[in-house]
Amino acid sequence: MDVRRIGDASVLVSARGDIDLSTLAKATAALDDARAGATTLLLDLREVGFMDTSGLRLVIEERQRAASNGYRFAVVPGPRKVHRLFEIAGLAGDEELFVDPPPPAGGERA
Amino acid sequence: LSASAEDDRLALLASIDEIADGTVLLGETVARLLEFVVPDFADVATLDTISPEGVFRRIGSRVEGPGREELERALLKRRPIPDAPVGLPRALASAESQLIERMTENDLHAIAADESDFELLRALELRSAVFVPLRARGRTVGALACGVGTSGRQYGPDDLRFAEVLSGRLALALDNAGLSAAVTGLEQRLEATLTNLAEAVLVRDSGDRIVFANDAAARLLGLSSVDAITAATPEQLMALYDVYDERGRAVTLADLPSARAARGEAAHPLLVRNVIRATGEQRWLLHKSTPVFDADGSLSIVVSVIEDLTEVKRAELAQRLLAEAGQALSSSLDYGETLQRVARLAVPGLADWCAVLMRGDGDELEQVAVAHVDPEQSAQARKVGAEHPARLSHRTAAAQVIRTGRARLIAEVAELPDDPWAQIDGELLGFNRGVRMRSAIIVPLAVAGHAPIGALSLAMADSDRVFDEMDLALARELGHRAAIAVENARLYTERSLIATTLQRSLLPPELPDIRGLRLAGFYQAAGEQNDVGGDFYDVFEVPGGWMVLVGDVAGRGPEAAALTSLSRYTIRTAGKLLGDPVAALEQLNAALRERPGLSLVSVCCALVRNVDGDATASLVLAGHPPAFHVHDGIARPVGVFAPFLGAYESGEWRMVTVRLEPADQLVLYTDGVIDTVGEEDRFGEDRLAATLRGAPDAADAVARIKEALTHFARGPQVDDVAVIAVERVRAAGASPSEQGTVRVGLERERGGWS
Repeated sequence: MDVRRIGDASVLVSARGDIDLSTLAKATAALDDARAGATTLLLDLREVGFMDTSGLRLVIEERQRAASNGYRFAVVPGPRKVHRLFEIAGLAGDEELFVDPPPPAGGERA
Repeated sequence: LSASAEDDRLALLASIDEIADGTVLLGETVARLLEFVVPDFADVATLDTISPEGVFRRIGSRVEGPGREELERALLKRRPIPDAPVGLPRALASAESQLIERMTENDLHAIAADESDFELLRALELRSAVFVPLRARGRTVGALACGVGTSGRQYGPDDLRFAEVLSGRLALALDNAGLSAAVTGLEQRLEATLTNLAEAVLVRDSGDRIVFANDAAARLLGLSSVDAITAATPEQLMALYDVYDERGRAVTLADLPSARAARGEAAHPLLVRNVIRATGEQRWLLHKSTPVFDADGSLSIVVSVIEDLTEVKRAELAQRLLAEAGQALSSSLDYGETLQRVARLAVPGLADWCAVLMRGDGDELEQVAVAHVDPEQSAQARKVGAEHPARLSHRTAAAQVIRTGRARLIAEVAELPDDPWAQIDGELLGFNRGVRMRSAIIVPLAVAGHAPIGALSLAMADSDRVFDEMDLALARELGHRAAIAVENARLYTERSLIATTLQRSLLPPELPDIRGLRLAGFYQAAGEQNDVGGDFYDVFEVPGGWMVLVGDVAGRGPEAAALTSLSRYTIRTAGKLLGDPVAALEQLNAALRERPGLSLVSVCCALVRNVDGDATASLVLAGHPPAFHVHDGIARPVGVFAPFLGAYESGEWRMVTVRLEPADQLVLYTDGVIDTVGEEDRFGEDRLAATLRGAPDAADAVARIKEALTHFARGPQVDDVAVIAVERVRAAGASPSEQGTVRVGLERERGGWS
């Protein structure tokens, strides 16, 4: 998991590899770190190869936390196999939850 | 039944559930239950209870239409004759419900005790009636009788079925309202309970007499014994105290909620300052009173509960903090996480710094929590704590507190020049080297009667505040509660073995025999005993068919096992009552939403009907991958995707129905199947569909999945796996006696694919 600040109060968490029972603790910790002071928290799933329901649970929890603590949380959709899970959970049609990817890191440095 | 009438009936059931939670008293429950039944479902209804010895008691009657009150009174007095061949007595004796579609004069004669009873029954103008026994906890506890006539309605078999569902709810509502207890000696049990209650309880009768008080009441009122209360009149008792309200105005006996309730007025809780005249001892007491009415509506008793809020009034802020801490402490079994949350709660309201040290195996003290308003400072302290662990043998205040078990308040750190700990800094408290502080409190983490397991430290630094005795008392309480939470977490770990056993017992021991269908299943738990997962499956009979389901609760360990238990039994009960998978899932969703935190459960639930050679399966998904329908050797996914149960207040769970032709199979599975880790990939839905292609029967379908997973899997099994396959038996030409009931056993294995 790679945590990157974009702009003043937006944080992008880029996940890589698998999000499942065995990596859940790491993913939880990454989100915990990223959340502090953020008004917008983005979880990028583009580089995720596999996600199971424990990952989905993480997303649902984060979303509920965002709603009650007043920050925005959104997900950059992952590959078809990962997105399938959101379909199964009846979340695929949720436009509030998904966003387009932010511009690449290079733009910030320029 | 039309769609809108169906809706009305569901609404009726929902209303009954609302009062079925046991918080409403029996008399009121009965009255309200009957209000729901009449006029929506019946023009006349009566409710009877029956004791284990067979003694009837009519507890309610309701009639719609002219002459209503007189008829209700007459019905309430009416005692059914015990040996009548129709009506209530028969329903009770056979424990079977009964429908009389067209009520004749002969029926009335059979039911009536004598001529005047006959006239009463005739006055009701009944056209049809249903009589349904109420069953709770495996025994007939009463009966519901409903009749229609004056409204022009007539009952049919559908109405009888509805009345049966209704009676299930009524039985539950009555049971919750304490009916069973009432029949089997409510009073003794209640008294035993009240006597041992920590809250003070007083009961006065409809007159002016205190008929019951418990020990806690005697203690709170400063009296030597319970007898001293019950021997006195309320006036005599009141004369022992000066009583004031929150604004300091004198409170008289007539102002107390118990007196208001006895007068039939609204009895709002009243907070009073109670001063015992003899000793001057002062307490803040919250009086709460509830009137209890007899079946006929007259006042029976007034129950008063008196809460001692002295501590709360003394430190309302402290109490709030403790309440929040209590929530944090009870919400997780991971005590590291729990203690960190407690530490965070303490800053900045109570202190600038909070840290928790726990004893390790040897001399080492582990810094399990540290909090400062500035997260950077906490992170720094955490780093230092990890690099330079504190030790029990060190000459620091925290180590001293853990060794001695005695809490310490250092109001002004600077004023301790001769103290060996004068060089006070963060290390002393197990925070951070170089943190200068002004004031400090260190309390042991200890459960009564045991050596301390650690210490909780609070410090004032940047804000320049100073701690006093009140803060020390609060810190002690915080330390005590934290210690209990840690002990609980440890106990839970030990109990997880029991949880495993529990989870095994939660699975049905064998798959049932179902005529015309064959079942096969496969269950394999992942990991070791201490790592209980949460897959479950169930098969049970419901009105009109069988419910077959698999589910998965998020998380692992004893919490998951508890959630599994809740899920399985809620679906079972709701499924049996309602016979509708969607309604059953909605019930579970509601139950999950009531739990603290987020409890997510995924379920795939099918209602399988097999009537007159026409078999269907109606299937609902909630956060669950699709089931597979194997027809002509091709496996197709079935189900409409929908949210997890527990995620939202409400959801749209939709049912899809497929026809099961002879030899068709429906395969339900949990995500442990498709998430199984292989060499490069997960097993996935596509491989599962391919595996099922051409499966001739349920047993073969399950065997194929098991074999495919065994070949595919690499590494240890991470998640539980549950599979259930339902097959409609190939019946062409076979006589009914040769069909079905061929049971294929359930295989259960554990741990690992190898």
